[in-house]
Amino acid sequence: MKRNKPLALVAGVALLSLAACGGGGDDSSSSGSGSDRSFGEQTGGTKDAKRQGPAAEVDGATAGGTVTVYLPGDPGPNSLDPTDGWSVTGNSIQQALTHRSLTQYVRDSETGDPVLVPDLATDLGTANEDYTEWTFTIRDDATWEDGKPVTAEEVAFGMQRSLDADTFPSGPGTEYSKQYFLDGDSYGGPYTDKGKKYDGITVNGQDVTIKMATPFPDMDYWGAFMAMGPAPLGNASKPPNYGQDPLSNGPYMIEDFQPNQELTLVKNEQWDPNSDPGRHQYVDKWVFKFNQDQAKVDQIMLSDNTDSQTAISTALGSDKYTEANDALGDRLVQQTSQCVSTLTPDYTKITDINVRKALAYAYPYEDVWFATGEVPGVTRIPANSVMPPGMAGKKDFQVDGEQITYNPEKAKELLAEAGEEGYEITMVYYEVDPLAVAGQKQITKGFEEAGFKVKAIPVQVSPYDIWLDPDNKTNKQLNLRGVNWCSDWPAGSTMLPPLLKTDAVYNTAQFSEDAIDQKMKDIATLPLDEQGDAWGALDEEIMTDYFPIIPTAFRNDLFVFGSKIGNPTGDGALGAPNYKDVFVMQ
Amino acid sequence: MSQPTAPETLGSLTDETPVDPNSKASQEIAGKSPLRIAAGRLLKDKIAMACAFVILFFILIAIFAGVISDFFGVNTDTQSPSQFLDVLNGGMPKPEYGPPNGGFTMDHPFGIAPRSADDNLAYWLYGARTSLMIATGATLFATIVGIVVGLLAGFLGGVVDRVLSFFVDTFLTVPFILAALTIAPILNERFNDSDNYPTIQKFSLVAVLALFGWMGMARLIRGEVLSLREREFVQAARVLGMPTSRILFKELMPNLAAPIIISVSLMLPAFVAAEAGLAFLGIGVTDGASWGRTISFATTYFEQYPLYLWEPLIGVVLLVLSLNLLGDAIRDALDPKTRR
Repeated sequence: MKRNKPLALVAGVALLSLAACGGGGDDSSSSGSGSDRSFGEQTGGTKDAKRQGPAAEVDGATAGGTVTVYLPGDPGPNSLDPTDGWSVTGNSIQQALTHRSLTQYVRDSETGDPVLVPDLATDLGTANEDYTEWTFTIRDDATWEDGKPVTAEEVAFGMQRSLDADTFPSGPGTEYSKQYFLDGDSYGGPYTDKGKKYDGITVNGQDVTIKMATPFPDMDYWGAFMAMGPAPLGNASKPPNYGQDPLSNGPYMIEDFQPNQELTLVKNEQWDPNSDPGRHQYVDKWVFKFNQDQAKVDQIMLSDNTDSQTAISTALGSDKYTEANDALGDRLVQQTSQCVSTLTPDYTKITDINVRKALAYAYPYEDVWFATGEVPGVTRIPANSVMPPGMAGKKDFQVDGEQITYNPEKAKELLAEAGEEGYEITMVYYEVDPLAVAGQKQITKGFEEAGFKVKAIPVQVSPYDIWLDPDNKTNKQLNLRGVNWCSDWPAGSTMLPPLLKTDAVYNTAQFSEDAIDQKMKDIATLPLDEQGDAWGALDEEIMTDYFPIIPTAFRNDLFVFGSKIGNPTGDGALGAPNYKDVFVMQ
Repeated sequence: MSQPTAPETLGSLTDETPVDPNSKASQEIAGKSPLRIAAGRLLKDKIAMACAFVILFFILIAIFAGVISDFFGVNTDTQSPSQFLDVLNGGMPKPEYGPPNGGFTMDHPFGIAPRSADDNLAYWLYGARTSLMIATGATLFATIVGIVVGLLAGFLGGVVDRVLSFFVDTFLTVPFILAALTIAPILNERFNDSDNYPTIQKFSLVAVLALFGWMGMARLIRGEVLSLREREFVQAARVLGMPTSRILFKELMPNLAAPIIISVSLMLPAFVAAEAGLAFLGIGVTDGASWGRTISFATTYFEQYPLYLWEPLIGVVLLVLSLNLLGDAIRDALDPKTRR
């Protein structure tokens, strides 16, 4: 899952929320002075197939009130069509409040870990032995906002829509439905292949059965995406108009949506709490304000006036961190995200592993974090491999025995060993963002001290536009790129293949090894309980043997809650505030 | 015998006491040109002299930025923030490196910047250089273009005047900020992989400022020339068969000295402010020191570290204010009709 604003990712400006499936940070210990804020143990998610509605009451929760959510620097989604949703911001809001799908995550109130529980399905689905056929039984008491029941046909239709890559080119279905569902590569979806019958998804009474092209053990996780939810049949859900005002089936419905500005949600009276094991309907009204100015929001949240008492901010400026940490206590929530920032040396150009390692030693980690407005050790922590902490099978290994830190002497030795002293690095940076410029200065300085030559090209568009465009003339010159990636669910299959499989879109390192590709394929066929460890082992193997990608940091987010917001917590599944369980204290 | 002085000439309207034409004092005045008279008045103006000193101070700083930084042992090199900044204190400089949490130190007399740990003094000195260099360059180009266009349009008249005036009006309709915002990415697209990118950026900034700064000068000169070209001395020069270029530069130009000097002295501060404004908006000099850029960084830290914002701010305000006041004083000195 990528973020709405990749620029910020590249620049390393942690102003946005990210997708994540880790546990929540240990927030309660930090009400004192700020210096002792640290992370709790992260663990992978758990599953509870038997959870039934209504969702457990939150201690002390009261109904009523309006919550305003400020999203600094975050443009928000352009379309609310569930099939199109593949951004952290949009999915975290819609999946928690307006759009239901097969499964969902709830936050375990004791451990803070996300738990995968049923949503529109009565359980987490049943698969056949080799995970090539999944059956979900759709519950009969869920309703749309107009009072009509959600039918199994509508769920099946919603899932078929996710196969329409031409209509929803940036939807998550392009990665998962197209790849795993039967005939996903040949069937163009209900809009592109109009009238064509699709055999991959069949409905029998309340049962929806999905046939897979290849074994897909993670279907229950994939079911937690709102793209795996219902859509009204026929023209009622025709894109692109449906994306401006989609029919809601969660506890809230859309009152007003102005893309990149504001989203207002009000109570959906037709939603039955007994039908939903995860969501609450405490708050009367939600107002999401996109593209806010960080400095302004920080002032509002720290002022604790009547407006900000019932407000939430999804980011905190690093310059206000100390002040906020002292003043807010529990109301400043630190949320781990299952995200990794990386540098990707071009595997076809920088062929010597020693040069790639020298780059890793030449990158001035802490200096870059400072210069780009991060709080070292809080919003950025050192990384050892591609898989983020808390992911099943994650190994706590170090490529060179200990954590790679900035060490120009070591980098020089490695360069000398490779016989490549004065190796020239060509990279781009986003000139429009002063923080990105400051970060690039640090990188250039670090690399040059380690004996590299650096050619840094300023660009005025998102670096992703350069890196992902194979025909771009600037891109052709580059031998060092980068990518920041968040997992879609806590499994290595959403981290390693998208970044390191041959010809994957976000494989900006151009890494390609047949042996590794084959291993990625093989892991998908392993029994489910062995897959986690297999991904962890593959992660270690890739890093140790090839070192094709330089992980620079694991990422964390800071959320600020107003003083009258009850249950200030983060949603570990999506790396957003825990919208599901929040209430206004009366 | 001389005629009594006509009421509209210089002597009667000024507050200078009338002198006997045959006295010693009168003979001392006799040889002075209007510009020398103006200079004499300017020297007596205390505010103008104070401003001139401030401007001289900044000019010296701009010229000797390198020497002064060496003297203080500071430079604009990229520093390692992790060495100088305090993680636990919102990324502010550690107390031993100066304000806001510690006392001033001789290593960094102006303190260091949060986030990047750059030395404030070095950036301030080089910021003055950038500011004055770009403003001077832009003023020079705008003045030359303005004078040439104004002279030609005013003196030749007819079709030439109409065409040139059309261009002046066209440029006046283009919104300056919008044009600057549009041109920056175009230049980047063309030159971003050039090694001289920072230099190209500076020249393009001068070009943009000059491109949208010459029209006022051109109009002013055109108006003056229109009134001068029918005067007897110009007619006489024509009758004598002087070439047009000689009439323009030998006969008309000296009479235009006053409006040109006034215009230039007011154009400079406008360009200094425009450069800082553009840098604040993130266009202009992105690579290197600039006061406007430092101001845009510093605004978010105003509460915790006000000094960081005050330094470049005082630089810009002092320079622009001094240039403006001096410009006003020059205008007053050159204008014989002024009463003070």
